[in-house]
Amino acid sequence: MCLDDQILNTYLDNELTEPWKSQVEEHLSYCPSCRTRYQNLLKIRSAVQAAALTDEEIQPRQDRVLSMIEKNYLSKNKGKKSFLKRTFKLSAPQLIGVAAAFVVVFVGSWAVFGNNGSSDGTILLPDVNTTIDLNNITQTRSSDNNTTSKSLENYTTEEILKNLDARGYDVDIRLKSIQPLSLDRIGSEVKVIAVVEDKGITITSDGLARDAEGTIVATGVILDDQNRIVASDGTVIFTADETKVVE
Amino acid sequence: MEIRSGDEIAFRQVYNAVFPVVMKVAYHVTYNQDVAEDICQDAFIRFYDKDMSFPSLDDAKFWLIRVVKNLAINHVKKKMRESASLEKVMRGPQVNPFKDGASELILKESTAAVRKAVSELPEIYKTVIVLREYAGLNYKEIAGVLKISESNVKVRVHRARKELEAKLDREEVNVP
Repeated sequence: MCLDDQILNTYLDNELTEPWKSQVEEHLSYCPSCRTRYQNLLKIRSAVQAAALTDEEIQPRQDRVLSMIEKNYLSKNKGKKSFLKRTFKLSAPQLIGVAAAFVVVFVGSWAVFGNNGSSDGTILLPDVNTTIDLNNITQTRSSDNNTTSKSLENYTTEEILKNLDARGYDVDIRLKSIQPLSLDRIGSEVKVIAVVEDKGITITSDGLARDAEGTIVATGVILDDQNRIVASDGTVIFTADETKVVE
Repeated sequence: MEIRSGDEIAFRQVYNAVFPVVMKVAYHVTYNQDVAEDICQDAFIRFYDKDMSFPSLDDAKFWLIRVVKNLAINHVKKKMRESASLEKVMRGPQVNPFKDGASELILKESTAAVRKAVSELPEIYKTVIVLREYAGLNYKEIAGVLKISESNVKVRVHRARKELEAKLDREEVNVP
């Protein structure tokens, strides 16, 4: 009985175990038709293998993918580690210096805020714009902090600023109206309650009046029970005729 | 030797050993070198990111081969769906992608014919033949990657070669 293709294929792939392997070899040694068939299968296999993607085609892609992974994954990880290491290498005096700088900035902002938080809805906030790195941090002893914070209230804003300026801080203080949270940030809680169509003004439930461009033109306004728009001090800004109430 | 895929040294070792294999698998399933490269990149990034542990280099290789094979088959299926719907709209002359050189390498006629024949195999035969001839896996390893039995692998290899033979005979290729 001759060998079928499946046996020959299995033999070809060297997947045939004994005793069948020896039996196939013995049969092939004396059966010319099975030998021819086997030669044919070998040819097909080598033709298929010869069509493989070549090393020359693979190499540039292998290099390219590796360098992409190196850049975005391997080196990124390495960067993280060295950054942490660098942070921990800060010596104790340096750390105290950084901490002291934050104390000065914090206490300073509190003092200014406390003194000037005014009733008309505007707040004076210090805007400290400084890059804190080792070049512009002055080392301060912890005992200095106590005296600084105690006496800070005795200085005027101007003096505090001068002092900070002298120490090399780039301090920028601006008067700002309280920036309300935008409509979309608050979500459903803030609603448009009235519009003044002639002037393009919109009043929202958070007491803000905005013009057509969305700029806040007044704060603390309310819609009274006579459908007038009234400012926080009681003056009528828009009469009921001008106001269109939004349900 | 245990392999941790998120460890840089282990990753490089696996990458150097396995990239050519998975690139061949991806290519001979999709027959598009750029797509194959993207698939391999995707697979190795997953491999590194997941930080898995493998008992040996071979196990890491089988994991990568399985992922690449799946990505490649998904790509082919998606491509087939797209071209099926596209064909309804326009039936242009078909270019033989196996003859125009994606690389400068001018393919031999027989190489182009074989690649075309392999690409036309049904998916279940194509995967076994690709894993056997291009990834160099034995039946047991193929069975492991495809999660089928070894005797099933044996049958599929046989049928795949039979189909290839018929296709290549039709193309009148002089097999060396």
